[in-house]
Amino acid sequence: MDWNLVTPELIVAGTGLAVLVLDLFLSEERRRSAAYLSLAGLLAALVASVRLLAAGLPDGSGAAAAGPGAGLWGGMLVADPFALLVKLLFLGIGLAVIMLSVDFVESRRIAAGEYNALVLFSVLGMMIMAGSRDLIVIYLGLETTAIASYVLAGLLRGDARSGEAALKYFLTGALASAVILFGMSLVFGGTGSTSLTALLAPGFLGLSGAAPVSGPLALAGLVLLVAGFGFKIAAVPFHFWAPDAYEGAPTPVTAFFSVGPKAAAFAVVLRVFAPVLLLGQAGGPPAVLPVLFAGLAVVTMTVGNLVALTQKNIKRMLAYSSIAHAGYMMVGLAVATPQGTAAVIYYLLAYAVTNLGVFAVVIWLNNRGTGDEISDYTGLAGRAPLAAAAMLVCLLSLIGIPPMVGFFGKFYLFMAAVEAGMAWLAVVMVVNSAVSVGYYYGIVRNMYLQDEPAGEAVRATPMVGTALGLTVAAVLALGFLSEPLSHLARLAGGGL
Amino acid sequence: MSGSYLTLITFIPLAGTVLILLLPRQRVELIKRAAALFSLVPLLLAVAMWAEWGQRAAGAYGMRFLERLEWIPSLGISYLMGTDGLSFPLVFLTALLSFVAVMASWGMIKHREKDFFALLLLLETGMMGVFLALDYIVFYVFWELVLVPMYFLIGIWGGPRREYAAIKFFIYTLVGSVIMLIGILALYFGTGAVSFNMMEIASKAGGMLTWRAQLWVFLALFLGFAVKVPVFPFHTWLPDAHVEAPTPISVVLAAILLKMGTYGFFRISYPTLPDAARAFAVMFAALGLINIIYGALTAMAQKDLKKLVAYSSISHMGFVLLGLAAGTHLALAGAMYMNISHGLISGLLFLMVGAIYDRTHTREIPKLSGLYVTVPVIATVLAFGAFANLGLPGLAGFIAEFFVLAGVFPASVTWVALAVLGMLVVAGFNLWMMQRTLMGEKRAEYAELPDATPLELFTYAPVVALIVILGVAPGLLMRFLDGPAADIVLRLGGM
Repeated sequence: MDWNLVTPELIVAGTGLAVLVLDLFLSEERRRSAAYLSLAGLLAALVASVRLLAAGLPDGSGAAAAGPGAGLWGGMLVADPFALLVKLLFLGIGLAVIMLSVDFVESRRIAAGEYNALVLFSVLGMMIMAGSRDLIVIYLGLETTAIASYVLAGLLRGDARSGEAALKYFLTGALASAVILFGMSLVFGGTGSTSLTALLAPGFLGLSGAAPVSGPLALAGLVLLVAGFGFKIAAVPFHFWAPDAYEGAPTPVTAFFSVGPKAAAFAVVLRVFAPVLLLGQAGGPPAVLPVLFAGLAVVTMTVGNLVALTQKNIKRMLAYSSIAHAGYMMVGLAVATPQGTAAVIYYLLAYAVTNLGVFAVVIWLNNRGTGDEISDYTGLAGRAPLAAAAMLVCLLSLIGIPPMVGFFGKFYLFMAAVEAGMAWLAVVMVVNSAVSVGYYYGIVRNMYLQDEPAGEAVRATPMVGTALGLTVAAVLALGFLSEPLSHLARLAGGGL
Repeated sequence: MSGSYLTLITFIPLAGTVLILLLPRQRVELIKRAAALFSLVPLLLAVAMWAEWGQRAAGAYGMRFLERLEWIPSLGISYLMGTDGLSFPLVFLTALLSFVAVMASWGMIKHREKDFFALLLLLETGMMGVFLALDYIVFYVFWELVLVPMYFLIGIWGGPRREYAAIKFFIYTLVGSVIMLIGILALYFGTGAVSFNMMEIASKAGGMLTWRAQLWVFLALFLGFAVKVPVFPFHTWLPDAHVEAPTPISVVLAAILLKMGTYGFFRISYPTLPDAARAFAVMFAALGLINIIYGALTAMAQKDLKKLVAYSSISHMGFVLLGLAAGTHLALAGAMYMNISHGLISGLLFLMVGAIYDRTHTREIPKLSGLYVTVPVIATVLAFGAFANLGLPGLAGFIAEFFVLAGVFPASVTWVALAVLGMLVVAGFNLWMMQRTLMGEKRAEYAELPDATPLELFTYAPVVALIVILGVAPGLLMRFLDGPAADIVLRLGGM
């Protein structure tokens, strides 16, 4: 047993508990300390993950210690490159969200200790989801994240919409959990094991010429899992909760929802389905799965983009935009190739960084009294040129204009689709990207092309400013660092 | 320094953008001077490259001034820059007209100057990169980089319908270029997925792609380039963009941006997929003739002086398509010549339209009259531009049209006849426009108008001079175009 492999999780869990305890002893004015402690914990976990990842890389010194498959308790927890890479992403998301929340939490008089502890526990759940090959453990991680998220959505107790968001999120989330659990039980019934490796065993799903005794049952289970996780990643037709939850939740929590739990659900989908899809490519019966993912991808991106066009509220618009991006990512699953898997991982990273940047601007302005309607952004280039420029860079990245990182995300997806002979999916993405220009440029137009109403300059607080600076720098720089990043993504995808 | 000409000429304008963004908004004079300086340096570099051209032996792929830096080696993407006789004249044109556009903006742009000049220089970096990149992905990055500043330049400083024109331009070009990207990816995988190097892919594509794939890829690339040229029926964004864009941006749009599309045909479509190009020759000819005749007739019908020049651009781009369709040495060289001559002539015409609009506050031809009497210098330069536009012998436009027609002749006499018909209409609308605006009664309200300022004359002078020089000494430019035209003929199989 190598406890070393779970140090990041232990640090985050410990920090979460420490924040809860610390909260009891903090006076009203010192509430910020909870956030500082959380940041320190996340940073420490980040460093620990980087060390594990570096040690596990092929040219690292401890290749054997954390190579693919290395784990605790027979694979219930694993620390392969995939797990470590997405954990880095989750920890980065946690850091950004806490930095973006500090002022918001203070000004809305949200209990700082609870807030930060909930974010930490949610991140912990995400890390557990990504770092397991066992259905039961994945479910535990999922619920840890979900329960913390339900509470986070409803934290604005005086605001009816926040309560509505929490309730809707809870009800659909509980339903999704039930569907997932039912799917898991069918898979277990078919394979006799809760371990994901059983899915790949000869005989299961009728591969390798063996009699497909349990195949249909487990396949039904897998389809239910697709539906359940479809709720979590807000894929159409399982998306209807997202706009209300996004609009009603406190804005930093919305930022968190749009990237965190969604990325974690995608990580699980990759963990469960990528190996099965690759097997199916060899000629097995799960051919239904790529078709399913292709259909979901097309419907999700199209509905997301078209409905986003009609939105007036920026948080609702971003909800539909994030639905559309989930659709793009599913293209990488539909192509059922290692390149597709790596492209999804890369896109997750690109999307998360970019979307956090967009939300950083929204939170910055929200803290200064700007509303959440898209019309509130009129003339922003005059009042807050830096906020407008940062927003522009991030929106261009979401559209997929080079050299922003979002372009490279789409580029790898395009490549995977064309290489797999599914150029038609790439063309659907192109049309969708063009549609998305309509609503992203609605903001750009308001910010830059409309006459500036007289308004005073809006300055960012240090925390929000730092978070925004970091994300925008990443949006600009990560595209140029495509080589090492795509290498990591391929390595991570290969170890699934 | 001389080792990295291309990086410098591409990124010095970008450095100017960054510098201008750091300057305080109120220091307008300083911003204007910085913009002039950062667009003058690329022009000087272009002159230096021209002077050095003969001493530089052509390197790999027949390219000079090559630069290479690995970027994404696992996919075979590298920062590969180089120039040959096809791209260098366009680089020179870009450097010259970007400088002219900056100087023309000095007097014309009167609000948010800082943003304007920063974006204009960013645009120059994008255009330079398009003509110099020899790696598909780097090419694509620059290609898209052009979109963003252009959107703002039209959308912020444009006319009354600027928002519509800007977003229309953006969406049209984006869709075209992303479909082009899918074509590029198909080329990449079809040739073994080892490199995005344009020349390497060109040497393999004919042998490794199936015939069906070649046709599809050719069409995908065609769509990307055709939107930019613009080829009928993808042209509708152009009149909107031109009419709404501020004068200096119209100049850049007509003189350089349209050439990105035709350059794509010369650099990518034809050398890479020559068989498909031959198969589509009739389509090119048909679309070219439609562009020539439809563009000219529509120009004739315009009341707006700027729209007239815009449609005349569509007409002239038709000659480039026609030259490509014929595929003979003369026709191809003529088409490349047309790229440059049209860049200069349409640039000059847009400058004149801008100068007139600045003074009279109208572009409506019926409201203008007797400009020869009120603003004789401006009227003379406009007349010069119009005569160059209709192909007066002794000026650059004539040489281009003559070469194209002479080259098309062996391919099809019918095409020549139809093109000549179009040329008659071009001559017609130019003369008619001059008659209505320059001649006639002088209008009382325009009696006191000031004539061209020294700054304006300074911006017109180099363009006028080059139109004359390229009209009497075509060898200066042909020296560059001969080789690339011959190469394409060779790839087409000596048609």
